[in-house]
Amino acid sequence: MGSGERGPAATAVLIAILLVLVPLMGLHLLGSVGLSVYLVNVVGQVMCFALLAMSVDLMWGGAGVLSLGHGLFFAIGGYLSAMHLLRTAFAKTHVLPDFLQFMGQTRFPAYWHLFDSLPLTLLAILLIPGVVAFVFGFVSFRSRVNGVYFSIITQALTYTAMLLMFRNDTGFGGNNGMTGFHAVAGLPVGGAGAAVLLTTLSTLAVLVALVGGRLLITTRFGRMLVAIRDDEPRLRFLGYDTLWLKLSAWCLSAMVAAVAGALYVPQVGIINPSLLDPSLSLEIAVWVAVGGRGGFYGAIIGAVLVNVVKFWLSAAAPSLWPFVLSLLVLLVVLVLPNGLTDLSNRSRSWMADLGRGLRDSGRRRPERGAG
Amino acid sequence: MARMLKTGALALVALVSLLLGSSQAFAGMDRSAIVGLLCGTGSHAVMQGADEMLANLPTASPADLDWARAVVQAFSRRTLRCGGGGVGYIATSGGLIDAARLEASPPVSSVLRSPFPNLRTRAALDRLTAAIAVLNAPAPEARLAAVGILASHSDLIPPALAEAALKRTRNPRVAEALRGLIVLQRLHAPDIGQRVAAIRAMSENATSRTENELKSLRADPVYAANPRVAAALDHGIAHVRLWVQVGAVLSLLYNGVSAGSVLFMSAIGLSIIFGLMGVINLAQGELLMVGAYATYSVQQIIRMIAPGYISLYPVVAIPVVFILTGLLGILIEWTVIRHLYRRPLMTLLATWGISLLLINLVRVFFGTQNLEFDTPPYLTGGVAVVGDFFITWNHLAAIVFAVGAFTATLALLRFTSIGLFIRGVTQNRDMAGCIGISTRRVDMLAFGFGAGLAGLGGLALSPIYNVNPTMGTGFIIDSFMVVVLGGVGSLIGTAVAALGIGLVDVGIEPFYGAVAAKVIALLLIILIIQWRPEGLVAARGRR
Amino acid sequence: MSLVTRRTVLTGVAATLAAPAIVRPAWAADTVKIGCLFSSSGTMANLEGRLNYITKMAAAELNASGGVLGRQVEVVVTNPNSDWPTYAQMGRQLLQEQKVAALFGCWTSVSRKSVLPVVEENNGLLFYPLHFEGEENSKNVVYLNSPPASSVLPAVDYLMSSDGVSAKRFFMVGTDYVWPRTINKILKGYWKSKGFSESSWHEEYVPFGFSNFQSIVNQIRTFTSQTGGQPIVVLTVVGSSIADFLRECINQGVKPTDIPVLGLDMVEADLEGLDTTSLVGNLNCWAYLQNAPGPRNQAFLANWAAYVKSSNAPYSPHVAIDPMVSTYDGVHIWAEAAKKAGSFDVPAVRTAFAGLQFPDPSGYTLSMTADNNYVARGVFIGSVNAQQGFDVLWQSSGTPKPVPYSPFG
Repeated sequence: MGSGERGPAATAVLIAILLVLVPLMGLHLLGSVGLSVYLVNVVGQVMCFALLAMSVDLMWGGAGVLSLGHGLFFAIGGYLSAMHLLRTAFAKTHVLPDFLQFMGQTRFPAYWHLFDSLPLTLLAILLIPGVVAFVFGFVSFRSRVNGVYFSIITQALTYTAMLLMFRNDTGFGGNNGMTGFHAVAGLPVGGAGAAVLLTTLSTLAVLVALVGGRLLITTRFGRMLVAIRDDEPRLRFLGYDTLWLKLSAWCLSAMVAAVAGALYVPQVGIINPSLLDPSLSLEIAVWVAVGGRGGFYGAIIGAVLVNVVKFWLSAAAPSLWPFVLSLLVLLVVLVLPNGLTDLSNRSRSWMADLGRGLRDSGRRRPERGAG
Repeated sequence: MARMLKTGALALVALVSLLLGSSQAFAGMDRSAIVGLLCGTGSHAVMQGADEMLANLPTASPADLDWARAVVQAFSRRTLRCGGGGVGYIATSGGLIDAARLEASPPVSSVLRSPFPNLRTRAALDRLTAAIAVLNAPAPEARLAAVGILASHSDLIPPALAEAALKRTRNPRVAEALRGLIVLQRLHAPDIGQRVAAIRAMSENATSRTENELKSLRADPVYAANPRVAAALDHGIAHVRLWVQVGAVLSLLYNGVSAGSVLFMSAIGLSIIFGLMGVINLAQGELLMVGAYATYSVQQIIRMIAPGYISLYPVVAIPVVFILTGLLGILIEWTVIRHLYRRPLMTLLATWGISLLLINLVRVFFGTQNLEFDTPPYLTGGVAVVGDFFITWNHLAAIVFAVGAFTATLALLRFTSIGLFIRGVTQNRDMAGCIGISTRRVDMLAFGFGAGLAGLGGLALSPIYNVNPTMGTGFIIDSFMVVVLGGVGSLIGTAVAALGIGLVDVGIEPFYGAVAAKVIALLLIILIIQWRPEGLVAARGRR
Repeated sequence: MSLVTRRTVLTGVAATLAAPAIVRPAWAADTVKIGCLFSSSGTMANLEGRLNYITKMAAAELNASGGVLGRQVEVVVTNPNSDWPTYAQMGRQLLQEQKVAALFGCWTSVSRKSVLPVVEENNGLLFYPLHFEGEENSKNVVYLNSPPASSVLPAVDYLMSSDGVSAKRFFMVGTDYVWPRTINKILKGYWKSKGFSESSWHEEYVPFGFSNFQSIVNQIRTFTSQTGGQPIVVLTVVGSSIADFLRECINQGVKPTDIPVLGLDMVEADLEGLDTTSLVGNLNCWAYLQNAPGPRNQAFLANWAAYVKSSNAPYSPHVAIDPMVSTYDGVHIWAEAAKKAGSFDVPAVRTAFAGLQFPDPSGYTLSMTADNNYVARGVFIGSVNAQQGFDVLWQSSGTPKPVPYSPFG
């Protein structure tokens, strides 16, 4: 389980403090020095990606099920929060979003009124992806679609959703998606207040997920998930109903992804079907793989690292980024099969070896296969 | 010899008549007036000039015909120059010549305009070119082709033209075609028999255009009044309608099968690799892309060393592409994939990394623009078959190629020892290893083979799709769906699934649009996989 | 141990992100920065990538003549990777971190919509070089190209006139997004106002990147064979679909003299690799064509060819398309406005737009008014020639006044 098994609760707490510090720093030093609004915003987005990576890690590191379709849930969360933001913007400006005008509508379709209220929207952000995940997971897990098959089908699912959402007739803005949000909780979108608020919320969400996830994997449920990952048929043979176990983890994972999406969209100010592009879903898996599966630390580190490098390189050396990413992936897969957590494991054992070597320089280091 | 004499005599007669009675030739074709109109402003004047020329063609002398051809050609090629007062010139390498007399012109001081053929005048110029060719083109094939062009605009052609052309040809095929044109033009003749014959002749060419033209004839009072004509018309319409419908069904099938062939070619390599090793090769689309780029390189090399054989490049490319992409596949297997067996999800990421690398390498070396392929003549165009059913050569080539690849691969798997090994490893890897098959080597060869097939897929796609670095990404999900639907490890399943998806896609498209077709097809596949996780054709064996 | 690594990672993150902001202002005194939002990777790279170079070329021209307000122009290039939210991301970075004076960017409408809130929040200035669906008028965007009412309608008018083909029936094929749908909506409104009935047109939409046009071209052949007057195709598919569509037309023998195609997004690059002899006569319509007459265009083309050579750009030195010229115009218009305003401040520059004139390579003199941020441009109708280019078939006598909101929408 990677670094997870060693991490005492204290580490989690310290990381928590660090993570909370970031936006506080931003808030404190807003102005000429320190983190600008732009950087606070970047931190917030990266936190959303970290949360998204954690949701994939729950299934992949936990139950050994790789979803290549988590972009779907991320996007559902995003669309729902965008709908709420558009309703609140409308309450202020009384101007219909242009995609509705363009569809020939003179007012919002009736169901949009549900999104006037924040609690209802929050409920929807949890419920709708949960239901979608339940239906899809139920039919898939029941027919025992797993392994690479499951990965492919999830990829096809998000691809199908992307095609659907690209259609203007589907009614969610088509290719142009939704944009033109006005305010988040009364704070103007894009302003310093909103950026700090959203970044704080995203960081808190990561922390809650981290603490919750760490607790979860120590429960019986968590251990059962690991058992599924290691040998599902045996578990079934022993009389456990793996269907419901997997299904609950799957739905939970989908909800976490949706929360990440809901927090992400107000920060970038736009949502369109490109979030449903299979390549984004694949990239999430890359984050997790780079950081290391299982235990959630790796997912966070991977998401943060890859995205920071991406933000930085896209500006500094645009044509270099794809090469860096592809080589990073190959490096991780071939040399560090469990991602960067391997690196810390190795450095730890190197340290140990070094110590041992000083004492006993004759002994050969034990082999560590690449797995 | 006799024929030459006769032609010579005819020309002599024409020349003499031209010299003796220039007034008669003048009456036939008022050259400067026509040039004046062609050089007029607005397409109305140009059309008038073209009509004037067309109307006079049947009685034109050979010299007039040559003149007409020179002027029409000059207009189409934009070498016609117009001065003030409707004086025209033709720009040649030797300077300006007077367009009305085709003689060297004195130096022109005024600014000359070069009239531009717009869509309307271009169509008129095309008709004129055909009308002149039908009268004086030396090759019978050229005349035949010209008759074809005239027949599709038979209402705009003076009836005397076909008669005049008939007199000037001795080729039986050209004469036959011209007689057909004459019959067609009698649709409004006073003689009822001629009208019926014209309707019959029209119904021979069963297209929806004919159907619409025949239907519009019903409005003509003569057709309503005369039962014989009405019967012929009804019969003609029914006949055309039937064949148009047959054509529509065939068209649907053809489109479906060709879409299926494309899918099959993009999925066949994957089918081998996935079936054998359970490895999801996300770089499959990029192997396709590399195949297309290899094809391009072969074309460029042939262009450099043997430009005369350029049209043969797709044939030359087949072995080259197969070997090149095959070697690339073996390289990928050797450096990356073999370290990742038993970790399929990691292979998935690794191959994604490889695909990203390949796309960007190609981008750096070739650029992002679409490649310019020199499409050989046998892959351009097509032939009308029945109704509106039109066979396009490039799609037909894809179908033939897919069938060929399918048969060859099947034969290789069934009848060769390496095929036997591959099947053995696919069905039971451990047992195959136990009886002495080197599974590692089989894996490497099979991966190379699958990659080579993907490269061939790229070759087959190059005349149909745009070739650029990101072309592969569009195929990956579709080809996975094909393999999974068909059943992993079953080549026949892959073929069946590709055909099925192609037909469903094409069948839905006209009704609900292309997006809905794709969505419905994908949802169907997801549903079918729930129902049959093993795919349509489940492979035998234990896994 | 692990704790230290993690803290190091996070500190590192902050440091990397902050680095550009700390380093750059060092030479900000004698330069002024402008930013590019054009992708050099992803699906849009082939089209957008060349606009990075044209911006640099225009900046080099400005610098060669002494810069703007005594300052050298520095172009900051980013790569939004054809990913729409990244455009907003990069735009925000350019405005807030790099403090650019103006942004030049976006090709698709969705990328512009994504950047729009960012430039509005930061009171920046985005020069948008593409023709688009109109129906938008932000004070923070300079619309360098024509909205449909002043570019597409004249072209359609021409086809409906007797000098064109007297078009009576219309087959619309478009990619399923807002630009084609808005254009077609405006066209339908326009035709309705001209007394055409709904039966005289037909609409089809295809997804992005669609390539198999067999069925659609079959439908077009059937449409052509129907009675009721001369048909035309109004093509609003984008990207690689254009070439795929044209190829299928060639193969199925659909001739421009039977049914001309008016490709509204068609440029020279789309004809690369096609045998255009059987496409000769098909049309497009832009505010600039490579064959536009006049010495200014010759100079521009020579300049571009030289620039491609000297900068080793991976694009053809012999192809110039409308968005390139629009971007080029944009840089110069910005410079003119800054000179006129005597400042790089966005509000001052914006005020200076009113009454600004710029003679551009198309041969027209572009102008702006105080009414909006649209630039008045000429209209060209191009006709495909056998050399994979477009000949100028028709051009407007002046620069029609841009109408952001179409009365037919």
